Amino acid sequence: MSAPGTSGLLKLAEIACEAAIRAGAEFADAAAEHGESRSVSVEKNAIKSSDARRRGGISVRAFFSGGTGWSSASGLTEETARQAGAQAAELARAAEADPDFVDLVEPADYPTVGGLYDPRLAEIAGPQIAAWITENIDAARGVADDALVSGGASVGWGRWALANSRGVRVSQESTRGSVSVEVVVRRGDDVGSFYDWDAGRSLSDIAPENLGAKAAGEALRYLKSRVIKTATLPVVFGPRSGMSLLSGLCGAASAEEVQRNRSFLIGKLGERVASEHVTLVDDAVIAGGLGSSVCDGDGFPHRRVTLVERGVLKTYLHNHYTANKGGVENTGHSTRGGISTTNVIPSLGAKTAAEIIAEVDDGIYVTLGHPSPDTASGQISAMVDSGFRIAKGKLTFPLKNTMFAGHGLELLANVDAISSDYRTEPGMVLPTVRVQGVRVAGGG
Amino acid sequence: MDVGGMRRQLERLRGVALTRKVEFAEMRFATSRSSSLMLQDGRADRMGAGERAGLGVRVVAAGAWGFATCESTAFDDWAACLDMAVDMAAVSAQRLSEPVVLAETAPVVDEVHATYELDPTEVPMERKLAAVRGYEEASARKACDHMANVMTAYSDARQTEIVCNTRGTLVSTESVRTMIWHAITAQNGSIRQRASERRARQSGFELVEGTPGCEFSAKAAKRAVSLLSAQPAPAGKFPAIFHPSIAGLLVHEAIGHNTEADLVLTGQSILEGRLGTQVAADCISIVDDSTIPASWGSYTYDSEGVPGQKRALVDKGVLKGFLHSLETAAKMGVAPNGSARADGFMHRPIIRMSNTMILPGENTLDDLMRDIDLGILLRGGQWGYVQSEKGQYTCHAGEGVMIRNGELAEQVRDVSISGMTLDTLANALGASRDFELEMPGNCGKNGQSMPVNGGGPYIKVKEVVVGGQA
Repeated sequence: MSAPGTSGLLKLAEIACEAAIRAGAEFADAAAEHGESRSVSVEKNAIKSSDARRRGGISVRAFFSGGTGWSSASGLTEETARQAGAQAAELARAAEADPDFVDLVEPADYPTVGGLYDPRLAEIAGPQIAAWITENIDAARGVADDALVSGGASVGWGRWALANSRGVRVSQESTRGSVSVEVVVRRGDDVGSFYDWDAGRSLSDIAPENLGAKAAGEALRYLKSRVIKTATLPVVFGPRSGMSLLSGLCGAASAEEVQRNRSFLIGKLGERVASEHVTLVDDAVIAGGLGSSVCDGDGFPHRRVTLVERGVLKTYLHNHYTANKGGVENTGHSTRGGISTTNVIPSLGAKTAAEIIAEVDDGIYVTLGHPSPDTASGQISAMVDSGFRIAKGKLTFPLKNTMFAGHGLELLANVDAISSDYRTEPGMVLPTVRVQGVRVAGGG
Repeated sequence: MDVGGMRRQLERLRGVALTRKVEFAEMRFATSRSSSLMLQDGRADRMGAGERAGLGVRVVAAGAWGFATCESTAFDDWAACLDMAVDMAAVSAQRLSEPVVLAETAPVVDEVHATYELDPTEVPMERKLAAVRGYEEASARKACDHMANVMTAYSDARQTEIVCNTRGTLVSTESVRTMIWHAITAQNGSIRQRASERRARQSGFELVEGTPGCEFSAKAAKRAVSLLSAQPAPAGKFPAIFHPSIAGLLVHEAIGHNTEADLVLTGQSILEGRLGTQVAADCISIVDDSTIPASWGSYTYDSEGVPGQKRALVDKGVLKGFLHSLETAAKMGVAPNGSARADGFMHRPIIRMSNTMILPGENTLDDLMRDIDLGILLRGGQWGYVQSEKGQYTCHAGEGVMIRNGELAEQVRDVSISGMTLDTLANALGASRDFELEMPGNCGKNGQSMPVNGGGPYIKVKEVVVGGQA
């Protein structure tokens, strides 16, 4: 199977659309995709396996009286495209009518988004990928000679093309590389562990050199973890968990969830949903952003969208269908079947993370955890995967068997600081976030 | 799908593999043909179908693993895929701890066909739609004015995996899976609560025919509505009783993953070095059994062509064994037990649970509750995860009921618990005679999603941490 170019993929997508229309669909769109990857996985300080993957297929959506038929198939041949198109149309005609469906996206100009494809990254060979991760094994063991290192490194590239029956023709080429390291250190029955990663769309954005050493150092810090007593405390969410808290709001802001009456953000448009410290922008066109692309899954041009401004919800997240249904502007968040954000960027505060922690007399610090609210109820009940006790402005001992809970809106309303310094990854800004008055359950 | 033709093509590829410098080669063809429909707010406006097929080749060359895939049925692509796997093994050889050794197995040649009564591909869409609509109606009747949204999904899949290796094994396994899922969001003012039910078996459309709405979607509706008036869960440490659904979640997340020998051998399991020792209270016995007919997690052969079996993991609190692949069995000097499965052709076989359960005990639920002054009964297991290296787990229960003075009291909502695996196991105080194995779902590990099932009796534990708000 030779790798087709974007023009070849576009042609297949067009053939699939035409087949769907010929078979009775009123509208159709089709995506054709080819991708390849090389990856190296590590277990217990040695390479476990090196893998090469190659995939290619077509998916078609056909519409009849608003009812949707989906079909997907392996292979990038004209015959596959025709069959998938015809099958999607048959399914659409079997589906029940949806009066809320209006049409598909119309042709438009697309933004130029740089840094999505780097030929140097696409050409990285297996031995170099292996070196990214094996060098980190050595670095981790340089910090802790009994460190057990697992993880991996990978490079992938792909081409994607979308065509629809209204004339949309769009394609994109992209690359992605990543390195992840998990380090476990044991002292008898005592265990410390830490996980970290690095990723980018271009070779220059991938800097895996210090991951192993840093993760080993962090793993050592999590030895001798202790339980605490149940209390209501300020919680400082570090860069990785803090972003989960802020972006967790976005799942409930999906217009699909709102229109289907199953979101806790129903009726909150234009209302306060977080403290004034919280401003969130979703920017899908950041050069080299991990979530960036020229258009959404429907083929609608991507742009920068303000989601929350000084705590006020400015928009729900729309695809073409929900925007038509709601009679509002499309925000371009289709994943071709769902709705999702791309690169969520929070506004920064005035204090550094160190200053934010220093102001806490008695609290906890959550390094890793998943503080995302249930989309319907808004409730959060989550474990501190990794974290520390804060006493008199300093991180003291690591935590075990500790949970925190609250309603997502209450936690966001109680955000009283977002740091000025942050961790950055391509398309990501990850600050530290402090929330007052969180119910913390401990095993002590 | 022409299974005979694919078997012959795999044998031809094996002939090529035997000419390459490899110690072992495994060529695995996998295909899946699926259909689905979604009924939402009274309309079945989304119907889908898909067919994916391809090859995954795994080799051991110079003592190292290499793996390659292609989404194709053409022999030339397969041959190129084999050569790519050999090339990738050379990359792995850059940093080996020790050469790969695989447990000895006799070659198996077999062809397993799926068993079902009603072939889902032969059932007209109208009949599927009528059944799904009936579920929605049963739910709506139960929820009355509180219904905010309902979603009902039906899906079926016919999958075939053919494993061919250079030891002479050639096994094809066909499965037919049918799943129904219902989720309801109930509303009272600004309070929204969601509940869902799932039925999933290796069967045909008879699963749907044998599942009346009153035992399925109406149960979800009743639970969602009752949660509207439930109180927020308390925070802190409480004596607890786990419903079989939570026992199923617990046995999977807290214990099951720790018995996967790949995690044990790589220092990522808290059960490393504990074989033959007491790791749980006497009332805890755990098995993983992939031979239960029609269960969601069952299979005849794993993705290495080894027969699935019943595996004793914990017997009366004593750790008896682990889940093995050919490689981990060789490293630990035991017989392989058929626990290596792959999620389609795109992934390598890795060690997975199948149907994992705590075995029933002698108590009744009333026995277990009797001496609890203030505790919590947790039920409606939804999801969980484990940090296996630390032995720290969390499980999210859809609901809870407070236990006061030995009796069930008020209902509570939004309940998650966390615990340390070995503490929870050691603090188990009893198991009930009542038993359920009804937690069909998909387990994620290393980017792969595999069908599993879990269950158990009611389990009483001395204390767990409840992540509540009150």
